[in-house]
Amino acid sequence: MNIPIGWKYLAIFIPSVLGLIGLLVLIRFAWKKGTEYVTPRPTLSRPLSIGGAALGIVAALMPWATFVLNEGAYPDKSTLQFFDSPWAVSGFRLHTLLLSLVALAVVFAPIRKHRIHKALGWSLIGIALINAAFIAGNGGGFGAITSDGSSFAFGAVIGLVAGIALVFSGKAGPVEPIPHLSTDVSRVVAYAVLVVSFTALLLGVAMMLNAGGQGGVGNPYAGPIFLSLLAFFAGVLGALHAVGVTGWISRLSDKHKWFSIVVLLAVALGLPFTEAGTDYWMTTATNIGVYAATAIGLNIVVGLAGLLDLGYVAFLGIGAFVAANFSGAAAAKMGFELPFLVAVIIAAIVAGVFGAVVGSPTLRVRGDYLAIVTLAFGEIFKKSAQNDIGGLTGGANAIPGVPPINWFGLSFDKPLEIAGVKLPSGVMYYVLIIVLVALVMVVFANLKNSRIGRSWIAIREDEDAARAMGIKTGKAKILAFLIGATLAGVAGAVFAHKTSTVAYDSFQFIESVTLLAAVILGGMGSIPGAVLGAALLLVLPEKLREFADYRLILFGFALILIMRFRPQGLVPDKHRRAELANEGAEGVPIEELNLPDDTPGGAKAQVAR
Amino acid sequence: MATLLQQLINGLVLGGLIALIALGYTMVYGIIQLINFAHGEVFMVGGFASLATYSYFIPESWRSDWWVALPLMALGGALVAVILAVIMERFAYRPLRNAPRLAPLITALGVSVVLKEAVRLFYPGATAPVPFPRVFVDEQYTFEIFDGTITIGSTAILMIAVSVIGAVVLQTYITKSRMGRAMRATAQDPDTARLMGVNPNRTIVLTFVIGAALAGIAGVLYGIQITNVDTEVGFLYGIFAFTAAVLGGVGSIKGAVIGGFAIGLIKSLAGQYFPGGTQYDLVWIFVLLIVVLVFRPQGLFGEPERVRA
Amino acid sequence: MTALLEVENLSVAYGAIEAVRDVSFSVEEGQIVSLIGSNGAGKTTTLRTVSGLLRPKAGDIRFDGKSIANADAHEILERGVAHCPEGRRLFGRMTVEENLHLGAYVRKDAGVAKDMARVYELFPVLGQRRQQKAGLFSGGEQQMLAIGRAMMAKPRLLMLDEPSMGLSPIMTQRIFDTIKELQSQGTTILLVEQNALAALAQSDRGYVVDLGRTTLEGPGHDLLADPRVRAAYLGED
Repeated sequence: MNIPIGWKYLAIFIPSVLGLIGLLVLIRFAWKKGTEYVTPRPTLSRPLSIGGAALGIVAALMPWATFVLNEGAYPDKSTLQFFDSPWAVSGFRLHTLLLSLVALAVVFAPIRKHRIHKALGWSLIGIALINAAFIAGNGGGFGAITSDGSSFAFGAVIGLVAGIALVFSGKAGPVEPIPHLSTDVSRVVAYAVLVVSFTALLLGVAMMLNAGGQGGVGNPYAGPIFLSLLAFFAGVLGALHAVGVTGWISRLSDKHKWFSIVVLLAVALGLPFTEAGTDYWMTTATNIGVYAATAIGLNIVVGLAGLLDLGYVAFLGIGAFVAANFSGAAAAKMGFELPFLVAVIIAAIVAGVFGAVVGSPTLRVRGDYLAIVTLAFGEIFKKSAQNDIGGLTGGANAIPGVPPINWFGLSFDKPLEIAGVKLPSGVMYYVLIIVLVALVMVVFANLKNSRIGRSWIAIREDEDAARAMGIKTGKAKILAFLIGATLAGVAGAVFAHKTSTVAYDSFQFIESVTLLAAVILGGMGSIPGAVLGAALLLVLPEKLREFADYRLILFGFALILIMRFRPQGLVPDKHRRAELANEGAEGVPIEELNLPDDTPGGAKAQVAR
Repeated sequence: MATLLQQLINGLVLGGLIALIALGYTMVYGIIQLINFAHGEVFMVGGFASLATYSYFIPESWRSDWWVALPLMALGGALVAVILAVIMERFAYRPLRNAPRLAPLITALGVSVVLKEAVRLFYPGATAPVPFPRVFVDEQYTFEIFDGTITIGSTAILMIAVSVIGAVVLQTYITKSRMGRAMRATAQDPDTARLMGVNPNRTIVLTFVIGAALAGIAGVLYGIQITNVDTEVGFLYGIFAFTAAVLGGVGSIKGAVIGGFAIGLIKSLAGQYFPGGTQYDLVWIFVLLIVVLVFRPQGLFGEPERVRA
Repeated sequence: MTALLEVENLSVAYGAIEAVRDVSFSVEEGQIVSLIGSNGAGKTTTLRTVSGLLRPKAGDIRFDGKSIANADAHEILERGVAHCPEGRRLFGRMTVEENLHLGAYVRKDAGVAKDMARVYELFPVLGQRRQQKAGLFSGGEQQMLAIGRAMMAKPRLLMLDEPSMGLSPIMTQRIFDTIKELQSQGTTILLVEQNALAALAQSDRGYVVDLGRTTLEGPGHDLLADPRVRAAYLGED
């Protein structure tokens, strides 16, 4: 009898999965044992860091790929055949060299080294793993990163070892505190520092956007170049954090808030003048802006008021459809065109009204159930839009031909020339969205520190207690939905004009999840977090075209992993008691300690559910 | 009249399917207050796993006998669903058991995206609906009634029978057995259940396992009834089943079944008689969900308020 | 002779807050031992740690000579320590009989039915209403059921947390009589009480817990006579 094919696959699949699990367990075990070995031995720190840095330099000066891959030579002359002059390093090899040189310099500098070495080491590990994975994975196999016949290229392997050595040198000995630099500096110095750091931020962003160009057939290696650069920047930021610089800058910018905002705005508006000032990146940046503005709106609902909304993209959609209908497009229901600003206001109002409607069940429904109610509203919106409800959405035909915004004869989709500098088309949308995001940020920041903001936070922490303190919880919750939806509606109006075609399938469940992910990835309740989250979630797919198919699955894993390992997000909101951070106790609410003995323990936790 | 009757029958068939999935939602929510968003995808994976069992694991000579092929497929579907459920409970949900309430819900969203995408990407041909073999006897029973005819397929009868029998067995198990008591005790008061010697982890895993097994079986039944499987159905039926569980009262077995049949009937009747027809049948279900949550959040058979004595 | 239960320098923390700092006591087989102390002294936390609901931060707990400090709650119960928690914590939506069955959850012997009959004999009101939901019972009846439920595990050591809480004096007396009877049948009792007078009067040994530490110890009657105890817990000057 023929054995069906599935059993043969299973016979391969199960051992490989078990092998993989075994390997991971082994690595974890070795890592733990290594940590246990070095931690009580501070004398190991110096030799490990010198060795690691030296190996890193060697890695940077070595070829990384033994032969030309199917999609062309690996970038930065790292393929053996193209490896002409060892000292002319560029790209990720330059980054490896820089990180290693800094690591070496730090060894002899009179500062606390452990955290710096850890950050640099992780960065080296990241660069080595990313490039090794791409070289080996792109048809090269393990021969491509080790040796193939008589040729060899151990760059990635050595880089990995160097990184591990540096991380362990950081683990040898006790954890050092981060130095606290004083913000008592003169105004001039403070301003200079802020200008320099924000400008550096701008250049970094431009570099990152430009790294490897846009992904796709023309640039098969855009992904690894971008990811390596990300790892490099992470290492640099980690090292700066370790010496206390990032904390210092953040405190300085807190102290000189208005100056920082102005500089940040100027810097953001400077992006079109950098190397990233192309049509393509202007479009992407505008999309990021739309998502960021919407995500900040969602952040009011989720981050401040603690109400999970799984249908939020509907408000973006409502804003977009309203604007489209008043835009004078051929398919629009309204046969007349309103000025953009008027349309925006109508879009905001309509979205806000729907927001209040969607929010009204919060009067009676709480927690998980509320999330499902919002999801249901989102689906109702999608279904209605899909079926061209009232002829307002165009159904499957969408509303095409929404004209670009036109102010004073300046059409927003045309390139622009200012004082001889040619700016890419779409730059006006970029400027508009930057202004919008800035406005939304200001609204958010003011709300957060206002009376209503405090009542949202109180509701998030303990709704019953908030009510007992006299907060009108119902009104506050509906207001959160209303304001959040209004902001999304404004973003939607810009979106409609920018994309020119408004279709229901831009506003599906997965987009709501993306928005939520942006908020969570960045850090709930945090403004820079929402922008960073939106940026990462939109830029990564652009850079990793070859993984386009895997975008959503990676995204799902990312949600799971963030919740597990960093629930407070990348840029946690420092002013809040992290709702999502585990307190680390045995799961017993602290309140129980203060309860009188005659109250059943845990009763309070039960009510709060 | 015949149309109405036919729609009622269609509704019951759909309802049976929804009820089987809803049981998993209701049990897991009952015990750890988690909306296991990924449960709908577990049902979808069960459908694909049973299809894979047929296509890749059952020798060709066995395929023609439904009483051989169908149980094996159900076993395959349920087995894969159960393995998945155990893995997700252990690695995604258990570490978050004491975390604030949003964390596990967001994790469940992530799990649901991962499952759907994994099948779409790695199951051959799953980017579009994949045809399902007609393994079960395919009889159509036609009756002449009043002004027309109504038809019931053999798969439809099987679907209703399995869901009702499944629910009765489950209800008996939960109320009468030792493990069933442990599950109810853990649902009411996990700490005190531990003091009784109940191992909460084992009880919770068992809950996931039962729910996943039923969802896996639902996957097979869906396949033979609809004659294809599709990665999109997980989300949709997940929502239907969740609505059913809420309508019936989360935590109640009886509620999940009655809720399931109610949702099936509403979808079927709304598609026929409500304005907008089948284009808006989903909307009516969502409206019902919202109305129930707002006006009777404990559902038809749920306990009004969870109070720990 | 080693004691049945020994708790040594126990400390337990909720996150950063230490509820129990340094508690030590021991319970000899066949005795009634009580822990007394004011609200928030750490008595309940101590019991919850002994029964495995919480993990100790430091110190050791030995039952019958073996450490149970890091065992799971169900393992500890299987070794013979039953905990009747504060506030009774019955399964209110289950019947009396189901609650008692859950009490015997870890038992695999055939004597469950017999022991259930014994509980009904001890508390006839439970026997009359065995199919009723536990949530419908009065406070005193619930306390009886809670004790009965803990007895169903046939423990060697029964820990009772505030059994007299919220009960009328007559009911309190009945509960204490029952405790005495359980002891006479061979069960060792660890009692946590705010009602220091009643508890110490029944106890072979008592410990005073204050701010997470055991501060005084001695035979129950000696403690009752101790002026410091009388001042602090019996409201005498």
